[in-house]
Amino acid sequence: MSSGSFTKGIQRVLRVLALTIACLVVLVPLGYLLLNSVKPQSEMYTIPPIIFPSHITWEHFEAAFNNPRTLRFLTNSLTVTGITTAVTVVVSTMAAYGLSRMGLRAGVLSLIIFVFLFIRFYPRITTVIPYFLVMRQLALLDTVWAVIIGHLGITIPFVTWLMLIVFQDLPREVEEAAEVDGASPLQRFGLVALPMAAPGVASAAILTAFLSWNEFLIASSVTKRQAQVLSIAVASFVTDRGVQWGPMAAMAVIMIVPMILFALFVQRYLIRGITLGAVKG
Amino acid sequence: MSTVMITQKRRRRLRHDWPWMAAFVVPAALLVVAVQFYPLLFSAYLSTQDWTLTSSQSSEGFVGLQNFAKVLQNDVFQRAVRNSALITGTAVVLEMIIGTALAYLAAGSSRIIRAVRTLLILPLVIAPVAAGTLWRMMLNSQMGLTNYLLSFLGIQGPDWLGNADWALVSVIIVDVWMTTPFVLLVVLAGVSSIPDELHESAALDGASRWKSFLYIDVPLMAPLLLLTFLFRMLESLLSLDSIYTLTLGGPGYATFTMTYYIYTLGLRSFNLGMAAAASWLFMSFATVALLVVFWLQRRWQTAQ
Repeated sequence: MSSGSFTKGIQRVLRVLALTIACLVVLVPLGYLLLNSVKPQSEMYTIPPIIFPSHITWEHFEAAFNNPRTLRFLTNSLTVTGITTAVTVVVSTMAAYGLSRMGLRAGVLSLIIFVFLFIRFYPRITTVIPYFLVMRQLALLDTVWAVIIGHLGITIPFVTWLMLIVFQDLPREVEEAAEVDGASPLQRFGLVALPMAAPGVASAAILTAFLSWNEFLIASSVTKRQAQVLSIAVASFVTDRGVQWGPMAAMAVIMIVPMILFALFVQRYLIRGITLGAVKG
Repeated sequence: MSTVMITQKRRRRLRHDWPWMAAFVVPAALLVVAVQFYPLLFSAYLSTQDWTLTSSQSSEGFVGLQNFAKVLQNDVFQRAVRNSALITGTAVVLEMIIGTALAYLAAGSSRIIRAVRTLLILPLVIAPVAAGTLWRMMLNSQMGLTNYLLSFLGIQGPDWLGNADWALVSVIIVDVWMTTPFVLLVVLAGVSSIPDELHESAALDGASRWKSFLYIDVPLMAPLLLLTFLFRMLESLLSLDSIYTLTLGGPGYATFTMTYYIYTLGLRSFNLGMAAAASWLFMSFATVALLVVFWLQRRWQTAQ
């Protein structure tokens, strides 16, 4: 008995230890980034490094926000993310509802689902170059529209796929009852199915927002100056000649802190969205 | 009798609704065709053309499969394929093991454990470009935090980003750091779908926790774990952002992956033909992997 509780005690200690290490591995790099963003320039490049700055300085953030380009990055990111999310949710929810209520044969639906899966996972770099050429042809290069349309090409198939899972799981009886009462297809979608699917819609919207905000490849290929977004601003420090850790850290903080706060706020929906696609497929 | 009537009624209604439902699908379908299928076909065409944008505004003619031959013989491409296999292979195996272990360790509903879970999944929402930058500072051999912390353990840390082999390790570390939480979440969802009674009756029969994991959880979750593995594998192969900000493919070509190679070929050297050919080679591999994923999913669903 006592040896049993002893091994139990050891197991408990090991569990706490393992989880503590895991938390530190997540937190220490993030803390280091935050500290570097408020560290004075003079304490930045010392050997050995100064981890905790002697005083907190906002100079990197001030410099960032005094630069009109930073505000443009920020407004571009907000515009791209906002429009992409809104359009995706409306278009994909409708498409998923249509597909799930069309009475398609199982084989046809399987094929459509494979196309969604393919679009999600084929090497995106394949279409980025032709997409760049198309945008050049349409004179849309270096506009937020080029970024938005590019993002929609990823998010619409992905979200339609997610919402298809959601709509297929909904009980049909309520919709059938509504139909008997004479509800039109639009009413059945908007007033019956959509409210039942609301948590799924929320998950889809949140995932879309994260995807669009964090996206780099498409944004970097179709923008030059005017339409650049935050992901490009963060990446641009890497190619600069000198090492600019302060401004680089500040820009990264500007990009990720709002999203971390947002994630904490909508955690339940975010997790549901992330696992839905993998678990249900 | 009544079922037959309902089916008939449903059929009639479906026919009646069909135009509506098709109309619901049209905007999404148009967009997917314009932004996905058209560029894909365009890319297939490009792969047969001799076209470098920096020297010519339009294609300089059809070259058959020459672009493919050039890519396959290219040293950097061969190195990129090896790097991709090494990075993705190692990173995804580590993610599966660590993520599964953490899912079991972080299971539970107490307040503390929920806070721990929230913390652990943070890397998932951080932009990969930012994760790359952040680790670029962490792994700086002189001024970075990693080697400073290692020095307290009496270890002299390597030149992470300056040495070709350690740069590969660095890329793997960042991939693992960013996406282990995904495995954690999926496994957690999988575990919670296993009925408690199974574990209880196994415990009554005297099975240890480890045995009940091995003989109950693993077989039940095998399809899920396999799918997660394949999803992660594909995603890891496609990742570009974090490598871009972490190493820029360097030192030299040490951390060029397939995605990064195609990116520099197409959007830095603007060799559109070769980039398209390389991406179709890459695509053929990804498509095979995807067909496996799809087949598994269908099989798993019908088994349920």
